Amino acid sequence: MGLGKTVKQFFDDRYDTKLAGELISKQAFKRLPPHTGWLHVLGSLSLLLFISQTITGIMLLIYYRPTPEAAHKSIQFITAEVQFGWLYRQIHAWGASIMILAVILHMTRTYFMGAYKKPRELTWVTGVILFILTITFGFTGYLLPWNQIAFWATTVGTESANKVPVIGDWLQYFLRGGDAVTGETLSRFFVVHVIILPWALTGVIVVHLFLMRMSNLATLERVGEEAPLKPEHGIPFFPVHVAKEGVVVMMMLAVLVTLSVVSPWEIGEPANALETPPHIKPEWYFLPSYQLLKYFEGPYGALMGIIGCSVPFVLLLLWPFLDRGKERHPKKRPIAVVFGLFGLLGAMFLGYLGHISETDQSFFGKRYHITLKGWPEPIDDSTDAAPPTH
Amino acid sequence: MPSNMNKPPSRRGFLDWIVALGTMITTVAVSIPGLMYLWPAAKGGGDENVEVEGASKMATGQGKTIQVGSQAVVVVRHRSGFKAFSAVCTHLGCLVKWDQSAKAFLCPCHAAIFDENGKVVSGPPPAPLPEFVVKEIGDKIFVSAT
Ligand code: FES
Repeated sequence: MGLGKTVKQFFDDRYDTKLAGELISKQAFKRLPPHTGWLHVLGSLSLLLFISQTITGIMLLIYYRPTPEAAHKSIQFITAEVQFGWLYRQIHAWGASIMILAVILHMTRTYFMGAYKKPRELTWVTGVILFILTITFGFTGYLLPWNQIAFWATTVGTESANKVPVIGDWLQYFLRGGDAVTGETLSRFFVVHVIILPWALTGVIVVHLFLMRMSNLATLERVGEEAPLKPEHGIPFFPVHVAKEGVVVMMMLAVLVTLSVVSPWEIGEPANALETPPHIKPEWYFLPSYQLLKYFEGPYGALMGIIGCSVPFVLLLLWPFLDRGKERHPKKRPIAVVFGLFGLLGAMFLGYLGHISETDQSFFGKRYHITLKGWPEPIDDSTDAAPPTH
Repeated sequence: MPSNMNKPPSRRGFLDWIVALGTMITTVAVSIPGLMYLWPAAKGGGDENVEVEGASKMATGQGKTIQVGSQAVVVVRHRSGFKAFSAVCTHLGCLVKWDQSAKAFLCPCHAAIFDENGKVVSGPPPAPLPEFVVKEIGDKIFVSAT
């Protein structure tokens, strides 16, 4: 008897392999609705990026040291000494940004195609939780290189926590592991980043995928009026959809490697607790909240700012229960579409303002200084040479 | 009154109740030490007197950032003597710098300005910079939080 047969026999004698085989082939050859196309690979892309982050993260862990004295040096060591260390560090750093982008695009697709509606409300809710976990990944991972920009962005980020009413001071103290951002903070962020979040994310992904497979992908038909999917009309998950995903993996790897080579992330200066660098800004995915917070001033400003920044997330979580209309097709949901576009463009606009605030910019041949709040103030080049912003 | 109020609890119901209560007590008993473990161990600090190195060599109007406990503090020499303020901006925690020519503390993060007494002149901070206590002992200068 060949080895393969012996192994098969071993399992057949002990487990109900027929049942297991049926379950697997049912999932593998499951038919997806006919309109399933390239936009439907964004979810798998997010998952693949998570896998890539896990692998590169484990590789970085071999050389990374989570202490204030050693963290920055260990990143330098990974980049300069370890073979291909630079590549894995770059892929991890770029992968983080692209994973967040992929999750946002996946959510955008789901929103505009009305796929969050009954019976898939909880798939959407778990998706929003995945989004929140993903940006928390970004926030905690950002500190780990222990460079100036990370140190101060984290100081400012955790400072916002103490504006939460009643428990703010405790919350900040707890997050930082003390009064200020120190080695205790680094340890905490490290544990959350490499142990807690990966498992939390894995758990929620399992639930998300399970829910998604149970109710299959949504069609564009009205809620409750979906015609049963005729197997001959559906697209087989394997091999057709999987082949698309394969193409996406290749493209993702190509993009990650290209970005890593063409536009590498700098290591930056080591953190210095006695010197704040000018104009520190958070990563792009925090820029909209960062900018929004600036408009809330006065004694209750901070509190209102926190509320203002939480509202979009609460809305996202509750959305399937607020929008109970039966239509799925975007053309038949003008209000939801306008609302979604407004939210998306609003966030992009705020993010852009955050990006250009406190810099000098040229628009239509004229130079402007963009204030903290994003207002352009003309710079009169004739009278004074604009002072450098840095 | 619901009729079952008068019925004596069955042995089964009573046991269920005991198990539920036991599970709850165990959960709480296990979580409390866990939460306490996660609470940052107090390091203290900040109440000691820290000497300002080279204070006597500082010119009038000059400022210097030092560390008192875990806090960054800016010490400024005025004509009338030394003054010290927390360097932590009350807006979002960046460190302010003393600008000698403007006679003001400037925050690099959101362009706040505090005057020489730590009061907010402009920008988003909601409160003045907390003042630290300066003691002059001989020709040495010491700073402490209290
Ligand atoms: S942190 Fe100082 S002005 Fe914002």
